[in-house]
Order: sequence, then structure tokens, then C-alpha cells
Amino acid sequence: MDLAYIETLREALHKVSGYIYPNDLELQWSVLIVLYPYITGLVAGAFVLASLERVFDVKVLKPTYRLSLLVALAFLLVAPLPLNVHLGHPERGIEIFLTPHTSSAMAMFGFVYLWYLMVVLLMEVWLDYRREIVEWSRSETFWPKRVFYKVLTLGVDNISPRSLEIDDKLGRILTVVGLPSALLLHGYVGFIFGSIKANPWWSTPLMPVIFIFSAMASGIAGVMLIYMFMCWVRKVRIDMPCLDTIGKFLLTAIIVAFSLEMLEMLQTVYEAEEHFDIISLLVEGKLFVSMILVQIVMGSLTPIALLGVLQLAELREKTRKFICALSGVLALIGILAMRWNVVIGGQFFSKSLRGFTTYKMEFAGREGLLSAIILGLLPLAILAVLLYLLPPWPKEDQAKAS
Amino acid sequence: MKDIQHLLRVAVIFAAAFAGFLVVRTLLVPKSFGKAGHYRADAVDEFAQLPRRYAGEHACGKCHAQQASDKAKSSHRSISCESCHGALLAHVENPKSDTRPRRPKEAEMRAFCGHCHARSLSKPGRFPQIKLSEHNPDAPCNMCHQPHQPK
Amino acid sequence: MKNFSRKQFLKTAAGAALVMAARAFSTPLSAAEKFFREPPWKRKKPYWGYAVDVTKCIGCARCVDACKTENDVPREAFYFRTWVERYILRRSGEVNVDSPNGGLDGYLPPSDPGTVTKSFFVPKMCNHCENPPCVQVCPVGATFKTEDGVILVDRKYCIGCRYCIQACPYGSRFFHPVLHVADKCTLCYHRIKKGLKTACVEVCPTGARMFGDLSDPKSAISKFYETETLQVLKANMGAEPKLVYKGLDKEVR
Repeated sequence: MDLAYIETLREALHKVSGYIYPNDLELQWSVLIVLYPYITGLVAGAFVLASLERVFDVKVLKPTYRLSLLVALAFLLVAPLPLNVHLGHPERGIEIFLTPHTSSAMAMFGFVYLWYLMVVLLMEVWLDYRREIVEWSRSETFWPKRVFYKVLTLGVDNISPRSLEIDDKLGRILTVVGLPSALLLHGYVGFIFGSIKANPWWSTPLMPVIFIFSAMASGIAGVMLIYMFMCWVRKVRIDMPCLDTIGKFLLTAIIVAFSLEMLEMLQTVYEAEEHFDIISLLVEGKLFVSMILVQIVMGSLTPIALLGVLQLAELREKTRKFICALSGVLALIGILAMRWNVVIGGQFFSKSLRGFTTYKMEFAGREGLLSAIILGLLPLAILAVLLYLLPPWPKEDQAKAS
Repeated sequence: MKDIQHLLRVAVIFAAAFAGFLVVRTLLVPKSFGKAGHYRADAVDEFAQLPRRYAGEHACGKCHAQQASDKAKSSHRSISCESCHGALLAHVENPKSDTRPRRPKEAEMRAFCGHCHARSLSKPGRFPQIKLSEHNPDAPCNMCHQPHQPK
Repeated sequence: MKNFSRKQFLKTAAGAALVMAARAFSTPLSAAEKFFREPPWKRKKPYWGYAVDVTKCIGCARCVDACKTENDVPREAFYFRTWVERYILRRSGEVNVDSPNGGLDGYLPPSDPGTVTKSFFVPKMCNHCENPPCVQVCPVGATFKTEDGVILVDRKYCIGCRYCIQACPYGSRFFHPVLHVADKCTLCYHRIKKGLKTACVEVCPTGARMFGDLSDPKSAISKFYETETLQVLKANMGAEPKLVYKGLDKEVR
């Protein structure tokens, strides 16, 4: 028994307000479970951005196409980690694949995840890079890297025009399949919460849809910021038409996500069911800062206003960059707050609907802030490795940079 | 054919991974899983065999016949012995063991009986209740009421 | 050829729509018969049910103590397989609920007793639902309904994801701090299998708690189910609890 943890729970007993079911004192899903939909959302959003170029032929997004794919891959590799670290028995986690319970959203998520990682994303990246991989496997002078590329070629160095044409076709098909897969992946994360009828804060059919659109916003914002950052690191000019277009898509995603959230709220207020009192206390009280201020005002309204100005006014390049960067950061913070408000907020009130418990985040423990920060930064480290091994920049760019 | 050789290799890798998964699956899934439903059927038996603490009403009368027959005629008849005397399976299995039946000392008696019989406006009105502070405040309950034949 | 197949398709589709519409109009009343579902205890023997008579509970919390003793439930004020709530309803409409240490610490006399209109105790525990939301969400099949109707958690198979704790509308599950798996009332499966009463029923001095075999028409619980006016908690969840209450007030949830 973790005595220090028991002690925090004993202290929490004194901070309960109203009446909670005694077992509802402990907040079951910690900050790690906040991180999980956040990371998964970034994956889905980044992939949608990639599909815009590939499937919908938004050619101006070319500079970020491959970068989006790598961002999606880096975050996807980390996505299940917070879940597994959180388990009471991480060593039994594999049971989800061995004996999946078909009526459980969580079990099905495992398969959606594997499908998306193995079949869609890895294949797509591989097909897209295959020509370069073969070339690098011949030209690379640093031997470990050369071996790595050799392995990736799977021993086939045929890059005849016909084979590349086939790759391109297959890649396009995969993207078309991948788009619903990405939405399914993140829609499913929403469903994990939305299907819990016992919790009125979660139980809404809109939950998967809201998750999908906020995922798009976060993924687009994430790729945009990484792109701007990498341009700065590599000392190349930001492709302004590309950035402006990303800004437009970001604006669209935030507007849709925000409208859906507000519609959901309106519905709750108007229907005013049994749980209405506790929900309104929750929003006015424990979630006031993280929901009203951070999620709505700072994370949604401000970026909508900023990006809106960008569409209406003729601004200098520098100002446009600044507005995009600022909106991206605000949107990312706002969406993180949204995940917090859903996951933690939904556990603040007891199912007695008569009282609140508290949550004191640990710092160093297994489910503490520190592991959340590490898990949150891990995808960026993986991305750095991916960018080193599979540079996504166009040829002329690479020449300029070196 | 030559131009899709790399794709065939990918297909082989996927097929091998899937086959490997199937092998791992047969090795790791518990034998009794799925026999009765989507769960490990053995778990049910494991639960059935957990240790007990409470012996149950019928265990006491064998040795404590007098108390049992007194109680059976009283208004406490529907109350199980272990309700007042605590969990006693260990005592039943070995009367010499350290587990002794709970018996309130004289000083604790009022609190002990009051646990059920102290007046509270939350208790059903027809349940016999007294105001502990007014009902012969200094006397232990068993001066007037024998717990096995209360009156 | 193309025209023909389209025509054919339209014909079939129209036909199907017509049949469905006809059905919808002709059988509106018989549809209600489908709501009837035969209870599983008509088919399976034994099949356990549980009942609480709120009008008999005196809030002594003997059951809470016995449950913790019998089942090695951690003795902390936030791990319970069963607990007893006290409701105090006041003239102003105010409702106070408490359950100090699940009832084990006793209940302080209510402040301002003059304003109290009614007060009563409500024992709570796992509802052993016929349609259990916790089992539905378990990703690996670690929590399940046995053939005799009891909901259990396989301690050797549970991965500790806590999804079932979130899904239980009744707050009857907790995360076991030592075993790191979900934990809950087992209906004293190790006792009832041997013909004994559950620990809570064994020690209940007033007969407020009752359990038994629903498949036996002569059992006390079957009689109770058949003759009393009963309610379940949060019926809107559709979980179909097999824990039923007699004399439940509308403020209880």
C-alpha cells in the first residue's frame, strides 16, 4: 500500500464539499489520462493536415505535408504510453489484444490504434520516403545510418518509375483510408468518455464530434508551430502562402470545435436535467479558471478573433507570422485545458450529484506532473530523431540550408 | 511483378506479425477463459474458495445451547449471534483460539446497546429506542434487560 | 441494361419501403409486447437477488463493519463495498446526506431538529445489475456476470484501467490500494456458494437487508419481489439492478 498516497486521500476527506459516495473520493483518472486524448488529438489533427494536401489537393500545403506525417507518427508512438503507465497492472496491458471485450470502447480502441499505426501511418510514411530511402542507403557515408536505411528498403532497391508510380497510387489510397481512420481513432477517444452514461458531464453523443474537431485544431496548430520553429532553426524563409492557408484551416477548426462545445453547453442548460445543479456549480466553481477563462476566452475566442483579423485585414508578413504563432500557442493551451476539463472535471463531482471531491496532483509519482511532462515532451524528442533520419524538407530547401 | 516486390515483402512481414500474434495469443490466454462467457471461468471458483470470518447463525447453538434457546424465544430472536459478538469462525473452529466473542464490559454496556437502541429521529419510529441520558443514566443495561431475553 | 438495373433497384427499394411502412402502421400496439423480457431467474437456478427495506434500517452500520471484516476491505474511509447513508429532509426543501466513514463512525444528531421533516437511512452497495454498465466497458473481460447473476472482478486478470469504476452509476466500486485492481461487493460469493448468508445480511439486526434465490418461487426474496412495492436506484440508467428497495424516498440517489 502506498502510504503517502493514502495520506493524501485522508487529507482530501477534509476538503470534500457536499455529500459524495465514499468511493468517489479518489479521483480515478489522473493527469496522464488528460494527456492521452491530447496526444491522440495531435495525431489526428496532424494527419488531417497531411490529407488536405494529398487527398484534397491543397497544393500550397506541400511544405508541411511530410512534416505533418512525421509529427503524427511521433505522437502516435507515444499515445498509448500514458495509458499503460496509468494501469494498476501495466504488465497485464497486453490482455487488451489477447481477449478484447467486444462491447468495450477501450478494447476496440486498441485495434483502431494498431490499424492506424501499422497499416496507415507507417505504410504511408514508408511509401512516401521509399525513393529517398533507397537513394540514402546508397549515398549515406555514416555507416549506422546507412544500415538503418538498408533495413528500411527491405532489401529491395528497385525505384523504377513504374514502382514509384505504384507507391504513389497506393499512398493516395492509404491517405483516403487514413482520413476516416484518423477521425475514427480520435472519435473513439471521445466515445470512451461520451459512452459513460453514469457520468452526465461525459455522456453526450456530441463528445466524439467535439473531440474530432478540437483534435484537428490542436494538430494543425501543433504542425504549424513546429514548421515555424524548424524554419527558424534551419534559417529558411517561412512559406507565407502555406502559413496563411494553415491559419485559415486552424481558424475553421477552432470555430467548429468551439461552436459544438457551446451547443453542447446550451443543450445541457436548456434541458436542465437532474444533474444540472451540480454541473453549473462545477463550471462556476472548480472549472471557472480552466474552462471559462483558459478554454473558452483564451483558447477559443482569442484565437478566433486574432485569426479572423488575419483574414480581414492586409497585414505585414511579420505581423501575420506573429498572429499565427500566438493563435497556435493559445489554441494548444486551450485544447489542453479542454481535455483537463473533460477528464478531471468529470470526476470532480460524485455520482451522488450532491458533492465534490478534490484532486491534488502529485509531482514526482508515477502519475504525477513530472511523468506527464516527460510523456508530453517525449513525442518531440522522437520527432527530432525522425527529422534527423527522414528529413522531410524538399530538395531545393535542403540545398539552401546546407 | 518486379515492381511490387517491396510491397510483397511488406505483406510477408504483416502476415508473419499476425501469425506471431496468434501464437502468442494461444500461449498467453488462460485455459478457462471463455468457457462460461467472456471471462476466466476459474475466477468464479477462486472466489468461492476465499476464506470466511463469520461462522453463521447455526454454528453457535451446538455449544451455547442455553443462550441459543433463550434468544430464540425473545424479541432478539431474529438477530444473529455474531451481530453482537463479532466474527467468530476462528472461535468455532478452535474454541481455544485467541478469538473471543465480543462481550461489552459493564462500563461500555450503555454505548454498546445504545448503538442500536439510542434514540435518533432517523430511525424508524416503531423501533424500540431510549434517550440514553434520561433512561436510568447510571445503570448498566443488563441490570434490567438480559440481552438474550430482553424485556 | 444499365437502365434496367436501375429500374429494378428502384422497384426493390420502393417495395421494401412499402413493406416497412405497412408494418409500422399495422402493428403499433403489438410492438409494446416486445418490451416484456422474461427475467433470467426463470431460466437459471440459482439466481441471486438482494433487497433492502429502508423502513427497517436503523443505521447501526453492523453490515459495513461485517463486510470489511469478512472481505478484508481496507479500513479507510474511502474504500467500501457497502455503506449506509443518512438522509435528512428539512421543511425548507434542503436535503442533507452524510455517511461518516460509511456509517461506522456513527451519525451526529442533526442540527436544528425542529426543521427536520423526515430522516432515514439507506444502505448502499453493488446493485448486481442484470445489464451491468461496468461489465460492458471492461476491455479485457476481467469483470463479468456469473451464471447465477453475481458481478465479480477477476483479481488475477484485471489490468487496473478503472474504466468500470467510472462506468458504475452507483459508486460501488473502488480501486484496491494493495491489489491494484478494481474491487467491489462479491455478494459474499464464498459464503452463498456454501449455503450461508452474506456477511451483511447475517449481522443485520432488523432484517432490513435480505438476499436469496430468485429462481425459487418459495424463497423469502421471491415473495418480497412479488408482494412489495419496490424501487431501484437510477432506473433511467437501464442497468436493471437486482438490488431493490422498499420505501425509498424520491430524494435518494
